[in-house]
Amino acid sequence: MSGPAAPRSDEPVIYPEVSMASLTDRVCALALRERAPLWWWIAFVPSLALALLLVVATGYLFYAGVGIWGIDWPVMWGFAILSYVWWIAIASGGTIISALFFLMDVDWRTSINRIAESMMLFGAAAAGIYPILHLGRPWLAYWLFFYPNTMTLWAQFRSPLLWDFWALMTYVFSSVLFWYMGLIPDLASARDRATTRTRQRLYGIFACGFRGSRDQWRHHRATYGVMAAIMAPVVVSIHSIVGLDFAGGATTGWHSTEFPPFFVFGALLSGFAIVLLLVIPLRRLLALTDIMTGRHLDVLCKLLLMSSLLLTYAYLMDAFTTFYGGDRAEREMFMVRVAGAYVPVYWGAIVLNCVLPQLLWIRKLRTCVPVIVLVCLGVVVGMWLERYEIVVTSLHRPPLPSSWGNYHGTFWDWATLLGTVGLFLSGILLSVRFVPVVSMHEMRALIARRNTDKNLEGPR
Amino acid sequence: MPPLSPAAGSLWRSLEEAARDPAFLARAAQEFPGLTASLESGMDRRQLIRLMGAALMMAAVAGCDSRFGADLVPAVRMPPNIIPALPNFYATAHVLGGYAFGVVVKHVMGRPVQVQGNPHHPASLGALDVFAQAQLLDFYDPDRAAGVSVGGEPTDRQALETALRDQRAQLAAKHGAGLRVLTGTVTSHTLRARIEALLAQYPNARWTQWEPLSRAAPRRGAVLAYGRPVDVVAHLDAVDVLVSIDADLLSTNPGRLHYARDFAGRRNPARAGSMSRVYAIESTPTLLGSVADHRIVAGPARLQQIMTALAHGLLPDPGAVSDPPPERAAWLLAMIEDLRNARGRALVHVGADQPAELHALAHRINEALGGRGKTFDVIDEVAPPAAQEQAQTLEDLSADMRDGKVAHLLILDSNPTLTAPAVWGFADALPRVPFSVALARSADETASAATWFVPQTHAWETWSDARAYDGSATILQPQALPLYGGMSAHDLLGLYLTQEPTTAEEAVQATWRLHFGADFAAGWRSALATGVVPGTASPSLDVPLLPTAGIEPLSVTVQKLTVLFRADPSLWDGRYANNPWLQELPRPLTKLVWDNPLLIAPKLAQALLLANGDLARLTVGDHSVVAPVWVMPGHAPDCVTALLGSGRRAAGSIGNGHGVDFYPLTGSADTVTLHKVPGRAALASTEHHNLLLETPAEILRHGTLAQFTADPHFAANAPTEPHLYRKEPPGPAAWGMSIDLNACIGCNACTIACQAENNIAVVGKDQVLAQREMHWLRIDRYYSGEAEAPESFFQPVMCMHCEEAPCELVCPVGATVHDAEGLNVMVYNRCVGTRFCSNNCPYKVRRFNFKGYARQQPRPPQSWNPDVTVRARGVMEKCTYCLQRIAEARIEADRDNRPVGAVQTACQNACPTQAITFGNLNDPASPVAQRKQSPLNFAMLESQGTRPRTTYEAVVRNPHPAIPATLLDESS
Repeated sequence: MSGPAAPRSDEPVIYPEVSMASLTDRVCALALRERAPLWWWIAFVPSLALALLLVVATGYLFYAGVGIWGIDWPVMWGFAILSYVWWIAIASGGTIISALFFLMDVDWRTSINRIAESMMLFGAAAAGIYPILHLGRPWLAYWLFFYPNTMTLWAQFRSPLLWDFWALMTYVFSSVLFWYMGLIPDLASARDRATTRTRQRLYGIFACGFRGSRDQWRHHRATYGVMAAIMAPVVVSIHSIVGLDFAGGATTGWHSTEFPPFFVFGALLSGFAIVLLLVIPLRRLLALTDIMTGRHLDVLCKLLLMSSLLLTYAYLMDAFTTFYGGDRAEREMFMVRVAGAYVPVYWGAIVLNCVLPQLLWIRKLRTCVPVIVLVCLGVVVGMWLERYEIVVTSLHRPPLPSSWGNYHGTFWDWATLLGTVGLFLSGILLSVRFVPVVSMHEMRALIARRNTDKNLEGPR
Repeated sequence: MPPLSPAAGSLWRSLEEAARDPAFLARAAQEFPGLTASLESGMDRRQLIRLMGAALMMAAVAGCDSRFGADLVPAVRMPPNIIPALPNFYATAHVLGGYAFGVVVKHVMGRPVQVQGNPHHPASLGALDVFAQAQLLDFYDPDRAAGVSVGGEPTDRQALETALRDQRAQLAAKHGAGLRVLTGTVTSHTLRARIEALLAQYPNARWTQWEPLSRAAPRRGAVLAYGRPVDVVAHLDAVDVLVSIDADLLSTNPGRLHYARDFAGRRNPARAGSMSRVYAIESTPTLLGSVADHRIVAGPARLQQIMTALAHGLLPDPGAVSDPPPERAAWLLAMIEDLRNARGRALVHVGADQPAELHALAHRINEALGGRGKTFDVIDEVAPPAAQEQAQTLEDLSADMRDGKVAHLLILDSNPTLTAPAVWGFADALPRVPFSVALARSADETASAATWFVPQTHAWETWSDARAYDGSATILQPQALPLYGGMSAHDLLGLYLTQEPTTAEEAVQATWRLHFGADFAAGWRSALATGVVPGTASPSLDVPLLPTAGIEPLSVTVQKLTVLFRADPSLWDGRYANNPWLQELPRPLTKLVWDNPLLIAPKLAQALLLANGDLARLTVGDHSVVAPVWVMPGHAPDCVTALLGSGRRAAGSIGNGHGVDFYPLTGSADTVTLHKVPGRAALASTEHHNLLLETPAEILRHGTLAQFTADPHFAANAPTEPHLYRKEPPGPAAWGMSIDLNACIGCNACTIACQAENNIAVVGKDQVLAQREMHWLRIDRYYSGEAEAPESFFQPVMCMHCEEAPCELVCPVGATVHDAEGLNVMVYNRCVGTRFCSNNCPYKVRRFNFKGYARQQPRPPQSWNPDVTVRARGVMEKCTYCLQRIAEARIEADRDNRPVGAVQTACQNACPTQAITFGNLNDPASPVAQRKQSPLNFAMLESQGTRPRTTYEAVVRNPHPAIPATLLDESS
């Protein structure tokens, strides 16, 4: 292992010392460690505690109903929906890195691909429970399926919520499959290196008998490619459809054709931010600075900056169409958004999502860890505020002044949100502990190409 | 079954019991928890005798109360006229402050489930106010007391009878010295006859009639003007120019429902031949002021000056009228001119809270305006007090009690411990009365302080009679056997006369036997069936105005601050405080629920740095009360309004502890001060933003008569563009609604009617604070203009049943769909609770069961409307256009093989002004189809393209062109 103490943008994607064998050994060793290091426990225990809070919050929710939340009339949607959108955006960002950049055959993607996919998986898990919890009668969620029944009742095709339900189902299932498909050869490597019988068995079962034969590699390569080709549009569709959940309604502040791309831009931004927040500590803690280098940080920061600019464009267009459209209620709602009770929400989102990322225009700051962490945390909070603004401030100013209202989350709203954070972090930490944290087979392919292609050394 | 082997010598009653069958024992344990224990344990001789003794005792106790025993025949054969699932209707009356409002109680399978107006009754005309409709919950109130108690300890009726027998003897010896009878206002002939019999039997006894919301001033005013107590009945349908000084015509007047109907009949220029013009001059906003053409905000002292000015402007010989004429504001001159031009078609009305001198002056002005027999009539007083020599005011009674002159106090359905002014000291004196008997429905403040507390039957559980504002009498017939036992006032009074008094039914029959004469049976039956005794309305009197009428100098005392004590629009004087419907009924103007903050003017709020919910200390003389304040647009700055009836201490589990009790401050002329004190109170208003906005025209359209005359279609929607694809509902009927905003007076009758009809839950103050109220029908109140004197508008809003309903599109499970007759129906069973429909509804008429509200209702299951589903937690609900009533009409039409006929929704049914019309739009002759032809017809938020089936008729006001519609008159 080598590399400078502080990341630099002119680092190569992989340091030359990293060989196929050393990489596989190191990554497998991480997964096969006898004991988890102290830092892992320090991170895992509070995460698990938060995840348990989610269990409590959900249990009480099922017992007492959604009335324990802050939702009211007219703000019928609150934390559940906005956190759902927030999480699904985080998950989507992971998919974009792992699927879209796979199709584009980008070298820097390979080492952080697994982290991005784990983020996608657990982000989707955190998001996926919300639509169920959100229902007034969650035990009837299966009514959104098309299933034959004696009353010949079907779900209602015209509802964006139905599209969303199906898009989410598709997305969650294909995310799991995509993650798992990429994992199979690495699980086989771990199986081969495992020293205890239990581990050999477990990794063996999940490796599905992958033994590295030429046919297996050929099939795997093709399957993974096809899945990536499916995932890339799916991730755009899931977020567009989440946007349609809002745009499909005639509700003040939602009824805008801009929403589908707007939501995809948001997904990009939050996805890149969370990947950075995961990569930055993990590359140090797992001693992987020679394969997750300053170059990676630099690229991710550039992407984050780009998505921030896209989002800024969306914000501007949102304001423009409000006044261009000339609807009274829209205008009133927008004025309240920028100057009313929820002022910190709107301007917080603007500052954190649009202004702060502009720091990353400066090359030095793109590898300056404290700045990156600050910007990324800002984006994570900012994106949540943006969803708060979309969901809550739109709903609290309907066309009739007599039905204007207010909204605040209750303890149980926050408990559920923090609980899903716990679920996400616990999942990430468990995957870091037990699953090869880098896609070894793809890295080996990359190293093989490096030996022939000098361009892979990274920018001069 | 296990082998039959009863234990030797044991007694058994069935084979299962003898066999000690475990299934039987389990069933018995479920049904009679005590029985299993006794079955399992053996029974010895001592225990048997003990039980036999107990059984004998219980039999004796049960035997004591034989009031209805004779009637209790099991319904082996179905009683005639009761068809399962079909309703029966029985007429009776709701008596409030002594005055009757005719009602019809709807029964299903013999249980009352709803109260509706009685179309035959002059004080109802088929409509009802909120109090009468909410009687359903008062009747089923679980907090009603069940048994007699003495000194707080339960006892039985026989003990009371014994005690009263002793008292009778003692009182007879002293000719009733020390006996006092305290009642509310009494218009009942039968009750009055009993009380008069009692006063005759005990000539030294005294009778006090006490109403906290007193009509003493109008009475004294009438005496000043006409020399004898008379009532004035207005004919608002004949009034072209109405000037109301602090009017109660539409809110607390005993004839309010009738007046509202007459008033509304002159307010829609598209229908009424000529539109009336209404000037409301008031210190605190009233319903009439809210819908008047001119609202002049003036302080209490200024009101008197305005009256004086009116007198000088209108009376041929004003010389004798008090002070020199004050300066004349431009609006005042214009108004006087208007009145003068409308001779014989003008009326000046003064509210009951104004001093008697003002009433006398108003009578004089009205006579001078030549309205007698046209705009008003004079009739004999409907609720006369006791004969002079035996009458006593509550203040004097309190003094007598304090001085120990009262040996025996009988309180019939009155609560002076709560309602008497603190300065009179009634509450402190009550314990000094050696023998006091309080008849009340629950152990309220007075009843729990009296020696004897006798539970009173609800008015639906006994016979009685009562008179309406115009003198018409109604016989009140019981609607059910007493739910909790108890006695009626007739029964209790009877026990003061003899040991074996006649029943209430016999007493009422005796009263009316005189009236009906030989034809008693038929007359009695028809009076019960129609709910009015024919020929009992008081004839108009030919009593002349006294020459001295209205020339008493008005004693204008200008105070820096005055407190106006007014009836709570939902709780009256507090007697309805335990009624959850009424507690949670948004007050017409403030939309507050469960609370009664002090209403203050915006200017006063500014001066004292007070905002909504801030606490302030209101001091009158030696008494003070800390209350939250509410800034009330259109309130005069030199007074504050305290609504009576909240802050109850012993109303019951619902009514206790909500709001502030202002009664201790009443009855005092001392200086009033108001100071801000630290702290805030959470006030629940269903109008979450108290804003003054220029109401956007797409929501509520309004204009002036001049505008209407120039262009009758001034408020109409733009012509609709052709639609690319539209599916017309194929059904035979097309249901629709039209709401005349000119007629809406914001009285809330529809809101309560809807709540009763549709089993709408009450959610409680904390849930209203969380913005989760459930009313399907809300009345939006809009202001325009300055906060000091705004114009206000009411707009009832319920589901619009859009033809292009946005809610239907977004429901993922199709729980809200369109039916063939254009109804937007909500399928509760299918709802999973995504709540997208509510988000997507521009009118926000959908309500969500955030919690299991229906389960938390403090009412027994039999009180729900059996035709309407009770909604569970997690389900969306909304107005259905009373689908159950439509279904009933469809069934009838199917049965008779004819097209579906007229359907009345509950809100339409209850509306005193007939603002709401509902029916089949496909039938061009239907009233709703005709109303939709009105040039004033418009759809709310038409630009949303929802094509609502409910449309409104725009508000047209008829202001005097020369003066502003609203202004604050501060000159004094």
